[in-house]
Amino acid sequence: MADERARWREDFPVRWDEDNYMTRRELAKFLTLGSGLLASINVLIAFIGLTGRTPAPPVRRIAAADAIAPGGSVLFRYPTDDDPCILVRDAAGRIDAFSQVCTHLSCAVVHRPGDDVLACPCHKGSFSARDGLPVAGPPTRRLPRIVIEQRGADLVATGVEV
Amino acid sequence: METRQQGSILFSAVLVLIALLVVIQLWLVAAALDALVARQFVVLVPTAIASGALFVLSGGLLGYVVSFDARLRQWGPRG
Repeated sequence: MADERARWREDFPVRWDEDNYMTRRELAKFLTLGSGLLASINVLIAFIGLTGRTPAPPVRRIAAADAIAPGGSVLFRYPTDDDPCILVRDAAGRIDAFSQVCTHLSCAVVHRPGDDVLACPCHKGSFSARDGLPVAGPPTRRLPRIVIEQRGADLVATGVEV
Repeated sequence: METRQQGSILFSAVLVLIALLVVIQLWLVAAALDALVARQFVVLVPTAIASGALFVLSGGLLGYVVSFDARLRQWGPRG
């Protein structure tokens, strides 16, 4: 058995230590190749960002202005039917609207009128209901603001501020 | 110190530098993706330019050190 193993090694003289050996020059070439790949990815991201811009946001009616009581809120979708948003009116009557998608892990935020915040129930994150900035929990980015205008008796959404 | 040993140290230093540049590029890719998702398009072109510059720098360093190594093999003393 030992002789067969020796013969096998003689017939197939694979030196695994040499086979797995990588010279510094090879490593430097490999890293530079990776550098080129990363640069290409960055250029591709820039190309996608610059050419794939969405057209001007639509104007969409949200609700009648007097239909939302102070401290109340209303849910709507903007700019597409796949983008949930929330409009809140504080006790003083000021109206603000934000995306309802938490910037942490995309749960839906809900309005807590007592604290004047938009709270995410998933990980206890919360955002200011005035400016959408994160005030507690894991989120680090603000909620996108929906631009709201009053036209006649109606509130309409006219854009998104990221 | 012999020239060959100096060349070895230089090669190692350049290798570490290239690795550092690649790490910075990884960070740039992450930042660009984050900006793309957040629709902050103004960030995308500077990150692409910076990443390209780092790639050129990496390539330049590799070319320099390879040519240095070749000169060393041709003319330098054996260590």
